[in-house]
Amino acid sequence: MQVTEQEQYIEFGIGNERYAIRIQDIHEIIKMQDITHIPNVMPYVKGVINLRGKIVPVISLRHLFGLDQETDSKNTRIVVVNHQEDTVGIIVDRVNKVTTFSDIQLPPDRVGGIDGNFFVGIGLTGGGLVGILKLDTVLLHE
Amino acid sequence: MMSDYKELFLEELDEQLQLMDDEILKLEQAGESERVIQSLFRAAHTLKGSSAAMGFEEMKQVTHEMEHLLDLVRNKELTVSGALIDLLFKSMDCLKQLKENIVRGDAPSVDVSGRIRELQSFSGAHTVVSFSTATPAVSKPVLNLDTRLKVQEAQERGLRVCWIHVQISADCVIKGARAYVIHSNMSEWGDVLLTAPELEAIDEQGSAPLDAVFLYAGSQSFEELKAQVANLTDVAAVTVEEIDSQESELLNPGAAVADTAAAAAPATFVPDKQAEGEQASPGKAKSQTIRVSVERLEHLMNLVGELVIDQTRIHQVERTQSRRFSDETVAELGQISDHLSRIIGDLQESVMKARMLPIEQLFNRFPRMIRDLSRDLGKDIELAIEGKDTELDRTLIEEIADPLIHLIGNAVDHGIESPEKRELAGKSRKGTLTIRAAHEDNQVVIYVEDDGAGIDPAKMKGSALNKGIISAEEAERLSDREAIELIFRPGFSTAAAVSDISGRGVGMDIVRSHIEKLNGLIDIDTKLGQGTSFKIRLPLTLAIIIGLLVKLHDQTYIIPMSNIAEIVRVTYDDIQSIRGQSVILLRNQVIPVAWIHEHFHIPKADKGRRHIPLVIVGSAEKRLALAVDELIGNQEIVIKSLGSYIGKVDCIAGATILGDGKVALILEVSGIISKLGGKRT
Repeated sequence: MQVTEQEQYIEFGIGNERYAIRIQDIHEIIKMQDITHIPNVMPYVKGVINLRGKIVPVISLRHLFGLDQETDSKNTRIVVVNHQEDTVGIIVDRVNKVTTFSDIQLPPDRVGGIDGNFFVGIGLTGGGLVGILKLDTVLLHE
Repeated sequence: MMSDYKELFLEELDEQLQLMDDEILKLEQAGESERVIQSLFRAAHTLKGSSAAMGFEEMKQVTHEMEHLLDLVRNKELTVSGALIDLLFKSMDCLKQLKENIVRGDAPSVDVSGRIRELQSFSGAHTVVSFSTATPAVSKPVLNLDTRLKVQEAQERGLRVCWIHVQISADCVIKGARAYVIHSNMSEWGDVLLTAPELEAIDEQGSAPLDAVFLYAGSQSFEELKAQVANLTDVAAVTVEEIDSQESELLNPGAAVADTAAAAAPATFVPDKQAEGEQASPGKAKSQTIRVSVERLEHLMNLVGELVIDQTRIHQVERTQSRRFSDETVAELGQISDHLSRIIGDLQESVMKARMLPIEQLFNRFPRMIRDLSRDLGKDIELAIEGKDTELDRTLIEEIADPLIHLIGNAVDHGIESPEKRELAGKSRKGTLTIRAAHEDNQVVIYVEDDGAGIDPAKMKGSALNKGIISAEEAERLSDREAIELIFRPGFSTAAAVSDISGRGVGMDIVRSHIEKLNGLIDIDTKLGQGTSFKIRLPLTLAIIIGLLVKLHDQTYIIPMSNIAEIVRVTYDDIQSIRGQSVILLRNQVIPVAWIHEHFHIPKADKGRRHIPLVIVGSAEKRLALAVDELIGNQEIVIKSLGSYIGKVDCIAGATILGDGKVALILEVSGIISKLGGKRT
């Protein structure tokens, strides 16, 4: 995947950190839904939701990043992404804005205590640094 | 575009291959028959044409040689023998391999040259040399309406109508004149209805042998006719061929065809009026059916599934509304909702029916399979197939094929004894294998029955003991029935030596789990020395099932109704403990009780309640009482997969969307039984 600087991203927050996903990869952003839990699956897989008749799995970024589970607030969103054949929802604390980056740098080994493999790069904006998610590793984390 | 044609071609190929397999079998069983040869020839011819058009050169060559061979048989220059049938079957296998390659889109890796040489040398070596081995090469002209009428008229008068191919030898100087002489000779014996090429158009000076075809109606037998024509001067070769009923078919099919068939029957070799009728019917049926791709039906079924879900939701909304308000519009909503659900019900049934196919499609594969198997294993087996028209969902037909083939393989291999053994046991040398399908209640039942040796419980125990599947202690305790059911244990196979047919490591446990995956059940019934019967029960369709909604902790789960034997309510006192395993006694049967809560890591319902609902699930041989927190009710549900991202989850068969829009998980009973039911004993 070639990362170009003109590309648009959706920026969202988890705790105090800011992350982003390429806008093309995003199917839609919805409010928190009733999640049906599935027994004995990967702990970061929270369950499935009914997205207009389609059954869509939902994962928790907080869990994946080893953060404490925060209770859902009115700002909690599910970012639904299309990745290869799958449609997957990612739970985030809040969605901030659509953004572009003036510069994108390769990720270091660790980004604020989180495995650097989860990121394609670190985007620079006026407001600071944003971790750009690499869906390949985020979704297929073992 | 090309792939569209390819699909059509493959469909046709499937049909024709199946037809040819059937017909060759008939040929083997019932002996030579004009109609069967004709139908085989036509199928080979069709395939040759279509494979050539599609550019499948190998297939064209093989079918061409088969066609040639069949042509010789048709013209009585070759007789049907065991060797010929074997060769035809081998060629069929070769065609099937080629088909597989086409399906996969591979470059053809099947070497057909050997088969082709075999076919060629066969036709060369076995030809009954009549007058000359050369086959006249003039093609038969297509008949115009006028000639067709003449043919019919002649047939109605009881005359035999045939094509006479004549080859006038190369050294005849005045070939055109010779053809005239032959024509007038024939006219003395009977009627010449048509001549090709036209006599006026014949090139007198040509140095090559001249081929001519006459359409002749007369009263002699074909042999007499052939001899008479061969006696004429300058005739190098002659063949006589009965006219094909399709060639003389009038433009108005229906009645006219029937006439031809009826008129042709007494006069010619065709002994079977009904068979002629069979040939005539496809033409009629075709106009009333269309081919629809499976994807479209699949899509239609999905849409109906969505409708069913939405209808349940509308119904739910209507109920809450009517509780809150009592005005006319709510009542109207209720009526509309009821009407809608009836229509959706009908729609669902119609779409389901559109997806149904007669099981014949699958059963037709068995005669050939049995033939090959019994030949390889030296058994004498008669196959009886019943209930071919039983319809079920096409996905089910596909899914049930492997388990059935396995069961049949077992029956032939282990079930039915060799002719010698059968004789010693006082049975007929020929074993019978019956495959039967029928609708029972809202299910499809398939039986595979043999009149073979049956299963010996003692042997089963011994074998299971040797393989370490059970301990000596367990073996002691097993009843005969339980011993027989050991056959379903993983790693079990009774064959002393692993044979090619049934001992490939996939055992009966795979068969059973496969059937249970389809929400079906398998039962076994066996009598030592008398035979074994397997009974498979399947739901009519896979996509929509009736489910029981139950509550476990705070979530709703669904148990497929087809897996439920009964539902009981018990008190805590009813649950006893045998060696640490909770059980209940139900009509003198000990049934283990399982709390799936532990496995799902959810808290058990509080013990303050007096009664626990137990859902007794399982197949005939294994039962399990599943403790649930609450029973909600039963409803029709649409099965959806959890998707590839989540993949297969232990004890979960899929999910569905409930009336309130929430997702509910469907429990997989076979998985639960093997996970939690295994704790007993």
